[in-house]
Amino acid sequence: MPSPQLPNYLRSHRKRLALSQDDVAFLLGLESGAKVCRDERFQREPSLQAALAYEAIFQTPVRVLFAGMYRKEEDKVVERAKTLRFKVALQTITRHTERKLESAGRLAALAEAVLNPR
Amino acid sequence: MIKINTRQLRVLAVAPSSRGLGFAVLESQEKLVDWGVKSIRGDKKTACLAKTVELIQTYQPGIIVLDDASAPTSRRSPRIRQLISEIVAVAEREEIKVLLLSRERVKKILFGHDQATKQAVAEMLAARFPHELGFRLPPKRRPWMSEDYRMDIFDAVALAIACGLKGTGNRIPPSDTALLPSNL
Repeated sequence: MPSPQLPNYLRSHRKRLALSQDDVAFLLGLESGAKVCRDERFQREPSLQAALAYEAIFQTPVRVLFAGMYRKEEDKVVERAKTLRFKVALQTITRHTERKLESAGRLAALAEAVLNPR
Repeated sequence: MIKINTRQLRVLAVAPSSRGLGFAVLESQEKLVDWGVKSIRGDKKTACLAKTVELIQTYQPGIIVLDDASAPTSRRSPRIRQLISEIVAVAEREEIKVLLLSRERVKKILFGHDQATKQAVAEMLAARFPHELGFRLPPKRRPWMSEDYRMDIFDAVALAIACGLKGTGNRIPPSDTALLPSNL
């Protein structure tokens, strides 16, 4: 069984730029590298503001930096999209519900294609 | 028998040395997730084991690669031999696969022969991972110099890469070594 992706890849991106945890903390506007260390060791989930700052520092999209977390959330969205599709299918069909059904169906199918590539 | 594709596993390579240990975490043969060297003063055994356990807990590797100190050509010290066997015991307790590769085997996997020097291995790895390792490549060692502490990182990365290439018959493409500047 393949190893699942790590929650984030902040450490490898930081090391690639030869930055210390204190350097990154300075760029994030933090006092010390302790919080950066906790983020890198998956002991803390950074705020949206911090995640966007990481994207700016490493010039890498958040979904790539936080690949494991993104995949986990994506899986949950797929499951919810399937439920939503089922719920909408039970409603009276109007143009509005038809469009909603299409959106939920596309989302579930798209994510399933990512999860089970041929 | 189920055959496991080591290329799909997260590989943790640990290279203990007289100063401490070098380590590398590799995903799918292309992605160097973490790499570094831990220099230790005092109780090396306890500190090296603690660092290894920390790496295992953080990265949850599918396989651990270590130097095969029991190989007939191995000249590792009794302390390192004992440390390696204790790391193997830790890995088995955590139910993680362990792969032991001798230095000769690693060179054979990477180059097709075992005559390459450590410097040649390091240069080849620096060319393969220029952003990660390029700036950490130590200068060529002169006869009166001790080995650079950064060489432990390259030892660990070589073990991790060899683990993925083992049995595939593949080698590092010669084009990677051609990227090297001629003055190295």
